Amino acid sequence: MRIGTAKKATPDAESRARAAFEAEALASVDSLYRTALRLTRVPADAEDLVQETYLKAFRAADRFEPGTNLRAWLFTILHNTARNRARDRAREGVTVDSEAVDQAADAPSYGLSGPVATPEALLMRETLTPELQAAVDELPEAFRQAVWLRDVEEFSYAEIAAMLNIPVGTVMSRISRGRRMLFDRLQHLNPVHA
Amino acid sequence: MPNAHPSCSSIDTLVTPYIDGELGAADKQLVDHHLGRCGACRSRVASEQSVRDLMQERKSGLCQGHAPALLRTHCAAAARLSAAAAKTRDAGTVVVQRAWTGWLAPLGAAASLFVIVGGAFLYQATEQSSHLLAAELAADHMKCFAMNAVLGTRQSAETVQSSMASGFGWTMRLPSSAEREGLELVGSRPCLYGEGKIAHIMYRHNGQPLSLFMLPRTARPEQLVETLGHECAIWSAADRTFVLVSRESRADVQRLAEFVHASMR
Repeated sequence: MRIGTAKKATPDAESRARAAFEAEALASVDSLYRTALRLTRVPADAEDLVQETYLKAFRAADRFEPGTNLRAWLFTILHNTARNRARDRAREGVTVDSEAVDQAADAPSYGLSGPVATPEALLMRETLTPELQAAVDELPEAFRQAVWLRDVEEFSYAEIAAMLNIPVGTVMSRISRGRRMLFDRLQHLNPVHA
Repeated sequence: MPNAHPSCSSIDTLVTPYIDGELGAADKQLVDHHLGRCGACRSRVASEQSVRDLMQERKSGLCQGHAPALLRTHCAAAARLSAAAAKTRDAGTVVVQRAWTGWLAPLGAAASLFVIVGGAFLYQATEQSSHLLAAELAADHMKCFAMNAVLGTRQSAETVQSSMASGFGWTMRLPSSAEREGLELVGSRPCLYGEGKIAHIMYRHNGQPLSLFMLPRTARPEQLVETLGHECAIWSAADRTFVLVSRESRADVQRLAEFVHASMR
């Protein structure tokens, strides 16, 4: 049943469904804002992006299928909106060169980081959260988005593919490449002690 | 059938889903088998796994930023406005069906408010009623002025003209004659309606927010619609629809719409 379109639902039931939809949607404002901030890097632009996301979502509420992931739906709207804005500003060079990104993602992976053993993985744990945050922020946008959406926001590959409008295989390769870039940066911060 | 001794490259695309626990049993077995024989791939998996584990372990620390309180308020307001618009759509809005442009004498002495030359922006008009159009644009009017109050943005006529040119391909001129009607320019924003982008020029009239929306390539009958506490004057000229939105009295909105309409060249 879609919100506001079920012919059998009473006005009260529709009203309750709509209120529940709005409450659940608004519960994602923090994570949407953080993601918007990573996309725009400007707080005012991030706020604008989030507000436009909610306006679109509430207007299109009757197109949301209850039972599916509302958070993922909101993130998809947010990324689509950000992508449209970037397209509008393409002359300013804001958009990602997706071909270059995918070529980088498809580059051979072996020998990039050298041998890494479990002790080094344990050393990763010495990384301070601000250092990790900075390393994430320094990643090229496409890789940062993919890693963040998977490892922090915990979306599925398919959900991320819908948000970023790229194939699932590309999602996985960007996550893979992004994690390895992070590993290289963090390892540099925490060199193995002899 | 999987190769008994898969190469490093053959498991390359499986490593990330392997780490994320997204592989089927057969593929997982294939990777496990390879990792048992290949130290380089074990290292690669260990490094990627360590980053994934670190990210997940620090998730709460990475997610400490909160949306500003005012943004929450605005988003909640957007929900209420959309709900109100939905009710408006369902219940019907108070609509003055008469055309308003004939009610008042033309403002003969008014110079051009602006001149639009050339380019048109393709806009797919929705089939929704003028009631919904008015309700949604009244919501946009409130949203944009609320954001403007926060951001404090103020744009010159030149900046607005430049935005219209870059965003819509319109060459426009906003002469100072608008001030004669007490209209003080605030700025412009691109807004969305249906599937298309529309222009939104914000003014203040006697200190009160007033919006002029322009929807490219649409035509609607003249109407004056009262919705969400706003009066919305709708008319079409050339190849676009204009919607003037304000909380001011119906007479003021009619007069200002008349001014804009009459001064169009």
